Amino acid sequence: MKRALTAALLVLLALPLLYAVAQLPPHGSASSPPYTHVSPRYLERGPVEAGAENVVTDVILNYRGFDTNGEVTVIFTALAAVLAVLLGVRKDAGPVAGEPRAMSPVSPVVSFVVRLLAPFVALFAIYVILNGHVSPGGGFQGGAIIGALVIVTTVIVGRSQAEALVPARARRLLQAAAPLTFVCIGIAGLLMFGDYLAFPRVADLAWLRTAWLIAIEMGIGVGGAAIIATIFWTMGDE
Amino acid sequence: MSHAFDLTLLLLLTASALAAIRTKDLLGAVVIFSTYSLLLCLIWQHRGAPDVAMTEAAVGAGVTTVLFLVAIGKTVRRER
Amino acid sequence: MLGLLWTNIDYAASVGLFCIGLYCVITKNNLIKKFIGLNIMESAIFAFVVALGVVDGGDAPIMGAGARPPFTNPIPQALILTGIVVAVSTTALALSLIIRIYRQCGTIEADELREME
Repeated sequence: MKRALTAALLVLLALPLLYAVAQLPPHGSASSPPYTHVSPRYLERGPVEAGAENVVTDVILNYRGFDTNGEVTVIFTALAAVLAVLLGVRKDAGPVAGEPRAMSPVSPVVSFVVRLLAPFVALFAIYVILNGHVSPGGGFQGGAIIGALVIVTTVIVGRSQAEALVPARARRLLQAAAPLTFVCIGIAGLLMFGDYLAFPRVADLAWLRTAWLIAIEMGIGVGGAAIIATIFWTMGDE
Repeated sequence: MSHAFDLTLLLLLTASALAAIRTKDLLGAVVIFSTYSLLLCLIWQHRGAPDVAMTEAAVGAGVTTVLFLVAIGKTVRRER
Repeated sequence: MLGLLWTNIDYAASVGLFCIGLYCVITKNNLIKKFIGLNIMESAIFAFVVALGVVDGGDAPIMGAGARPPFTNPIPQALILTGIVVAVSTTALALSLIIRIYRQCGTIEADELREME
């Protein structure tokens, strides 16, 4: 009964949406308003104004830099919330706490393949971070790859050894690296050019523009990797 | 030719979404959801959006699936 | 109208996926299954917004050496990158809440949780 009612309601919701979607300009046509009015300006002047050949990196770090500032704050807040929810709870609070779980042995195939591929994956991730302004990629993509590498290393060697990958003394600083980098570059822009997160617009400071882009990308990459690794370790803690 | 490829990907996408919500075994549902993420990444790569495709591949297969697997390991395996 | 819908089949598929995800969120009982439905809804919206900027035969918007027009619109891609990161953050937080609920209450079925307290 509930399912039939929900299905009927969703069909009623989908019909106006499909009608609206059919009225949009044809998919892929070169005469739609966003293609003729909005994107040529960014495609022509993006690399010169904003300092990167990858126009998407231009847009997220220069034209819409405040959005990316908010995004790294969101993922850092998610880490803080995960730590707040899962840490500090006594293990024997609740009906299902404290049961010992049998650990399944690590498969030798997985262990061998991960040990073989880990250096190449790490090299590729650093390449993606540093080359994000001239090829597809960028800070968060490389950070997610490093985070996934740390996760799979934790699976094969256990948490206590894998925690050496994120050094303990610098851990809080690494987790907060992304918002901190943004705020530092923003304040540098404030001091040098008068506005928060202002990039240099003069033509002979183009090297500074690209250098700031790379610095922000490295901050996002390292911060993203540390946050993903810490979320995995906190959730997987027995 | 490329239109047929896109149509096939869209069809597989819808089929995997339907399969993911109908499976009672949560582990199977998460694996099918991972293939949904992969198909989405392929569609975007074919359409000329490689940045989004790379992010979706790294995040969908590398992070979201692993977090789901950890959550299933800590709670229940089958849905009632 | 069906002809128009056939040319815009990407948008129609996004609407369909959104409704599938919404059906899953409303009718399924298990919290993890509800969350898979929410992720399907989010991905459908991302696919819709990126498809708005696609051009026929479009290349990646990278102004390197061998770049030939036409290029896909870079603005929707930048918005969706931020969206994907926010989706990952909500996934992480929701799954930790589900783990905590299971530890406290012993169940993650919505109707049993509703009858508990």
